[in-house]
Amino acid sequence: MTVETRDLTKYYWMGKEKVVALDGVDLKMEEGAFISVVGPSGSGKSTLLNVIGCLDAPTKGEVYLAGWRVDYRNKQSLVRLRRKFVGFVFQTFNLIPALNAVENVEYPMYFNKAGRSKSERRESAMKLLELVRLEKRANHLPSELSGGELQRIAVARALANDPKLILADEPTGNLDSQTGKSILNLLKRLNEEEGKNIIMVTHDLESAKKMGKVIRILDGRIQ
Amino acid sequence: MKELFSLASRQLGRKKLRVFLIVLGIAIGIAAVIGVTSLGEGIRVQAVEQIKAQHDLTTIDVSAGVEAGSVTLITDSKLRAIEKEEHVLFVASYVKDMYVTQNKTAFWLKGNTPEYRQIHRNLQLERGNWFDEEKESNEIVLGYDVAKRLAAIEDLGIGDEFVAKIRLYDEDSRPMDKTRDKTAVFKIVGILKSTGGEHDDEALVEIATAREMDEKDAYDGAFVKVDDPAFAASVGDKIEGLGLSARSAQDVIDEVNKLMVAVTIVFGVFSGFSLVVGALMVVNTMIISVYERTKEIGLSKALGASDFDIMKMFLAECVIIGVIGGILGDLLGIGFSMLIDLVGKPFLVSALGGELGAGLQTGSITVVTPEILAAGFAISLVLSIVSGLYPARRAARLNPLDALRQI
Ligand SMILES: Nc1ncnc2c1ncn2[C@@H]1O[C@H](COP(=O)(O)OP(=O)(O)OP(=O)(O)O)[C@@H](O)[C@H]1O
Ligand SMILES: [Mg+2]
Repeated sequence: MTVETRDLTKYYWMGKEKVVALDGVDLKMEEGAFISVVGPSGSGKSTLLNVIGCLDAPTKGEVYLAGWRVDYRNKQSLVRLRRKFVGFVFQTFNLIPALNAVENVEYPMYFNKAGRSKSERRESAMKLLELVRLEKRANHLPSELSGGELQRIAVARALANDPKLILADEPTGNLDSQTGKSILNLLKRLNEEEGKNIIMVTHDLESAKKMGKVIRILDGRIQ
Repeated sequence: MKELFSLASRQLGRKKLRVFLIVLGIAIGIAAVIGVTSLGEGIRVQAVEQIKAQHDLTTIDVSAGVEAGSVTLITDSKLRAIEKEEHVLFVASYVKDMYVTQNKTAFWLKGNTPEYRQIHRNLQLERGNWFDEEKESNEIVLGYDVAKRLAAIEDLGIGDEFVAKIRLYDEDSRPMDKTRDKTAVFKIVGILKSTGGEHDDEALVEIATAREMDEKDAYDGAFVKVDDPAFAASVGDKIEGLGLSARSAQDVIDEVNKLMVAVTIVFGVFSGFSLVVGALMVVNTMIISVYERTKEIGLSKALGASDFDIMKMFLAECVIIGVIGGILGDLLGIGFSMLIDLVGKPFLVSALGGELGAGLQTGSITVVTPEILAAGFAISLVLSIVSGLYPARRAARLNPLDALRQI
């Protein structure tokens, strides 16, 4: 899937003061690419991801997902785009505490059944757990798992509806470097073996370089 | 659907105490409504039973019909039409006039047919005999009070004869101090036991004798006997179709039913105010729950949930609360109505006293019907869902990003 942004701009108003989060970002992403976004804190990295992921609307400019222009005024279509194209991975894992590992992975499928029966959905959730090598933890609650395990489950969950695009906002930010590496390797594998487009925000420039293309962002602008 | 509820029950399972408290709050409200309505229903059933015990449901009381100022009289042709109706066993017509004796003692006199006593089976002689029904005769049977008056004022007893005239009425049907000239001589043959009702103030003669005196074309009333209580209403309608007015004990029962249902509804509604507390508890708890799970809501939206999906998740929790509250409320309500019966009945029996109280003694003063239980359950369910609407909507409308950012 290709991703393209044109003149993507996002302002926030803090009272009368304008905060520029994105300032005319033009980004082109080829099918199956891995892009790492680096930049100082407050430079607009998360905002870029959220706008591309249809969670936030830009003030100006356009986003094209697989060639389709995103209509940010149409709430329903945003929901559909999120279901179909996008998988999120967060810095803070964000698993649902009431659900065990496999149920957490299954959770997004509930909103996008796509004709899959309950048992089919459970089966593919189990497959995704196997993919992140956590099938043995399927019935554990989040409170019983380590940070690295939680993030691997979160990655598996991002794959639940087989999206073409994975948006990972500092996925290793809350992990020690060793565990962080395993998550990066997992993402790399998904990019290479499954052909997923991945946009990842990171502070670790060294690792980012090994993943693929790196873009720097400063004050909402690509350098 | 099943998944929605299993997810909802999982979420509720994480805060069991809180859920238990709301459910209890609703259940107590429901139980109060059930207890009060079961009391209303119980009293209604008791009242109807007493009416049925005291009245003959197969008898219809027919009188002249008055509609828009015009009066339809009970004529012979009308009576024949009634007699021809299906399910009518017989018709007992009568005429009724006010008579005064020479010494100005007034009494009601009813001229009636043999069937009249088949309707009024409570008429029993204290002394003497019934008048001869075969032929026109001047034999008269006195009601208990009439007999007492005539004995006291005029020194009349069984075997005595006396003269009486019909008293006239003015245009407003008030009795006047005037009488017809025509006189009748009655011979007292019997005296009735006290019935406690209208017959104590009446004297009875053979109908032909009375009709010859009053010279009316029509009857003052008639009793229609039907073969089965089930047909009393339809025969009554037919009689009313003739322009006459018809009343039966069923009408009284209908009125009691109407009254008691209205009273029960009013009581139920007022006791239902306690449900407001339960509803507010649901609103409060759900708002807290939305607040606590703000991040989860944002996450769900990021993972593809629509506003409606979020709303459904919260409403499903309300449905579960409503179902449990309804079941528990029904159970508590049954217990509550048993308690009312246990504690309230002795009180009611002594307060009402006499016949009414004695009637209560036998039965239960509360009746819990399946309808009451179904209503209790439905109220709990609807209440929970309605109370959950606002919090659920609030959850659904959260901006996913703001929600996700919440710590
Ligand atoms: N909801 C908001 N309201 C106001 N300003 C906001 C909001 N969200 C972001 N901003 C501002 O927009 C700018 C970009 O924020 P963003 O979160 O994209 O930065 P970031 O590059 O992800 O930073 P970090 O590395 O710390 O996560 C910041 O100056 C931030 O203060
Ligand atoms: Mg950020």
